[in-house]
Amino acid sequence: MNHPLLDVTGASKHFLGLKAVDEVSLVVTKGEIVSIIGPNGAGKTTFFNLLTGQLAPTAGEVRLRGAQINRLAPHERARLGMGRTFQISKPLIALNALENVMIGAFMRHRKLSVVRDKAMAVLERVGLLQHARRRAGDLTLSERRRLEVARALALEPEILLLDEVMAGLNQSEVGQAIDLLKGLHATGLTFLIIEHNLKVVRAFSERVVVLDRGRLIAEGSAEQILNSPEVVKAYLGDGHKIAELKGASA
Amino acid sequence: MNKTDNTGDAVGGLSRADSGIESGQRAFVKYVLGMAALLLPLALLVDDAHWLNIIAFTYLMGGLAAAWNIIGGFGGQFSLGHGVFFGIGAYGAARLYVAYDLSPWLTVLPVAAFAAALAMLISWPTFRLRGPFFAIATLAFNEVAFVIAHNLTSVTGGPRGIMIPFKAGLENMIFRERWQYALLMFGFAALVIGITVILRRSRLGYYLLAVREDEDAARASGIDVLGVKLRGMALSAGLTAIGGTLFAMYLRFIDPPTIFNLQEVGVKFALLSLIGGIGTIAGPLLGAALIIPFENFLRAELANAIPGLSLAILGLLMVLAALFMKRGVVGAIEDLVARLRRKARGGK
Amino acid sequence: MDQILNVLVFGLLLGGIYGLVSIGLNLIFGVVRIVNFAQGELVMFGMFGSYYAFAYLGINPYLSVFIVAPLVGLIGVAMQRLVIQPLHNESNMQIFATFGLLMMFQNIMLGVSKGEAFSIGGQVGSSVITVGDLRISVVRLVVFGATTLVTIGLHLFLGHTMTGKSIRAVTQDKRAARAMGINVERTFLLTFGVGAALAGMAGALLTPIYSITPGVGGNFILAAFAVVVLGGLGSVWGAYIGGLIVGVVEAFAGYYIDPAVKNATWFLIFLVVLIVRPSGLMGQVGAEEVGFREQN
Repeated sequence: MNHPLLDVTGASKHFLGLKAVDEVSLVVTKGEIVSIIGPNGAGKTTFFNLLTGQLAPTAGEVRLRGAQINRLAPHERARLGMGRTFQISKPLIALNALENVMIGAFMRHRKLSVVRDKAMAVLERVGLLQHARRRAGDLTLSERRRLEVARALALEPEILLLDEVMAGLNQSEVGQAIDLLKGLHATGLTFLIIEHNLKVVRAFSERVVVLDRGRLIAEGSAEQILNSPEVVKAYLGDGHKIAELKGASA
Repeated sequence: MNKTDNTGDAVGGLSRADSGIESGQRAFVKYVLGMAALLLPLALLVDDAHWLNIIAFTYLMGGLAAAWNIIGGFGGQFSLGHGVFFGIGAYGAARLYVAYDLSPWLTVLPVAAFAAALAMLISWPTFRLRGPFFAIATLAFNEVAFVIAHNLTSVTGGPRGIMIPFKAGLENMIFRERWQYALLMFGFAALVIGITVILRRSRLGYYLLAVREDEDAARASGIDVLGVKLRGMALSAGLTAIGGTLFAMYLRFIDPPTIFNLQEVGVKFALLSLIGGIGTIAGPLLGAALIIPFENFLRAELANAIPGLSLAILGLLMVLAALFMKRGVVGAIEDLVARLRRKARGGK
Repeated sequence: MDQILNVLVFGLLLGGIYGLVSIGLNLIFGVVRIVNFAQGELVMFGMFGSYYAFAYLGINPYLSVFIVAPLVGLIGVAMQRLVIQPLHNESNMQIFATFGLLMMFQNIMLGVSKGEAFSIGGQVGSSVITVGDLRISVVRLVVFGATTLVTIGLHLFLGHTMTGKSIRAVTQDKRAARAMGINVERTFLLTFGVGAALAGMAGALLTPIYSITPGVGGNFILAAFAVVVLGGLGSVWGAYIGGLIVGVVEAFAGYYIDPAVKNATWFLIFLVVLIVRPSGLMGQVGAEEVGFREQN
């Protein structure tokens, strides 16, 4: 029986009457790149937190490779192959870049020398090897985001959940990041990403899912979604977004 | 760019040495050299009874501070209640020796294991609490332990405490010569530091650091945060209990005010770590080396004239360290070295 | 049956004492979001100040409170400015700093008082009003009255004055308050000052009741933590009611079980509340959230 990698049915999260996430269903197959877009406050990060186990769902099911993981804690889901980054990046500040990544690598390996070597390889993969001994707190924003991706990669995950990993990056940094992600995708990693930057979505997505006020209002290919009138309406309150949708440069 | 296999020496041009993670051999050598240096004062002052007492206490408090540092410094969980575990070690061994003639060498480990188990039990609900509230809860545990020790007279001797009669003999852990006690305390400090060195290079050690830095990031990295905290606490508590046992056999008199005094005991472990350098390996012992003799001097010279002076000064040091020297003396030295290195490089 | 009433009354009056000591702590906690380990010592300063005013100047504590409280308030302002503010995002270092202050304050007073214990209860301290079978201590009744007045006053102040409202705004959301133009740092200074002054006031009013030693603060601080957590952080009425509950529970536990279980009662209340209902009875902030909520 071939299960999709990630299968979410009717996920909901209610906070005292507010439906932050309202019956969202989503299927991600192995090797796919799926983007979640939507206006601010649409519930995207909350949805992620339901997937990673940081929040318990009010209703609905999350299945990883067919097995129900609703009751599993975040660290258990990490062990099952879910890696994630956070919207506000969370480097382990007092530790250096290498140690940050080693923390991730320790999940799969025990011996210090092996962990160190694996972490160094990952740092090289994301282009941070020369910063290995720099304190994470001293890195630039772009470097910190790459570090967080590196830490998640060290978990040897099957699926990477990236929460607005491009936020705050300038154009060239965004380009480098997209190249990195494409390279990682080529090795077989599945991606579920939250993105505001629609140029990124255009460049790095197979499928796009739109959330608005907690509900999934549209789903389709990048082309379909970015031209759909419903989606335009959802973004209508945000003039900036309309300009982006029309293909104007960010 | 030289690439080798997973166990090779170089990955993409950066060698093992450049990673900053020293090999097990280097760490071991550093440890042995460090312990030899630590032993030096004892060797040099082996004939001075007054100094031997100070040295013995410095070793003991250094070891206790290092034990606290495991959960407080590495794990970032500021317990103000380690006096409880210290008390279990002291009262446990003392009672078993006085009432049942059991050698402290036999009872020290079981008592420490009991302290570790109790630590996990009482920490399990309190680890849910954030920083200051966790500290308050641990403080409250200390107070409760005091009340229990004060009232459970059949076991703890109540307010009058337990007096251990002098009967010299290795099997009793009671020594005739001060230098033997000092050596015992050195052994304790060396044990705790050795465990710290191993811990720092282990998965649990790294996980403790991650938990300290950011619990959410730790969880996302596959870390069972509560489990790590409990294991760190158990290790810390067990080692603290061993220190308590040694303390009891050294002083041969323990009572509730002595054991559960926050400022002199429970919080002192944290204070020494802070001043020496929280979260470092050498910090706690360095803090002890700086503070214990200093405190002794203050007490000897001025205690009668001005009661409370030494503790007032320690309080001030704690405030100043928290404000200006968060990484302690070790941190200050590291910063200095880094600044000198930068100057040297810039000068080229 | 009549004994129960006496224990109840004793408990309520004790609750009044705890409430008075805790109100300042609660205010500081709700606004500045730090746990002031040295709060008991501020009460102690109030007691000593009032004692010295009585012993050397012959001034009645119920009068000297008007000088002593503001003086202790100034100490609070200094604490906030010099020690707490610089550590505003480092909750672990704050623990060290306030505990260090506790040690300093206690031991400085120890040096000054040379270890002597003072007391000025005398006749006033032991006078009692008898209502049927009830015996009500006058000085404790005064404290109870003061606590009630302070709570009402503080409630009105926070609800109906500009300054009070800005304090409440900062309690709710520091960032939003700043965006509205409220000077958050000045609010912190003011709050710490008021919280300390309340502690000093408590000390002055408690002078006829307790024996005055440098360590007297220790009698209250744990109970105060229990009260603050039970009542809910940032809630003035919460501290009042929480104080009453803690006082009554302690009185009954002390009478029917054993006086020695005092510490255990505070601690149990503390733990149970934090685990079962962290936001307390009326709190605006849950203890679990402290340090967790993004407040910069």
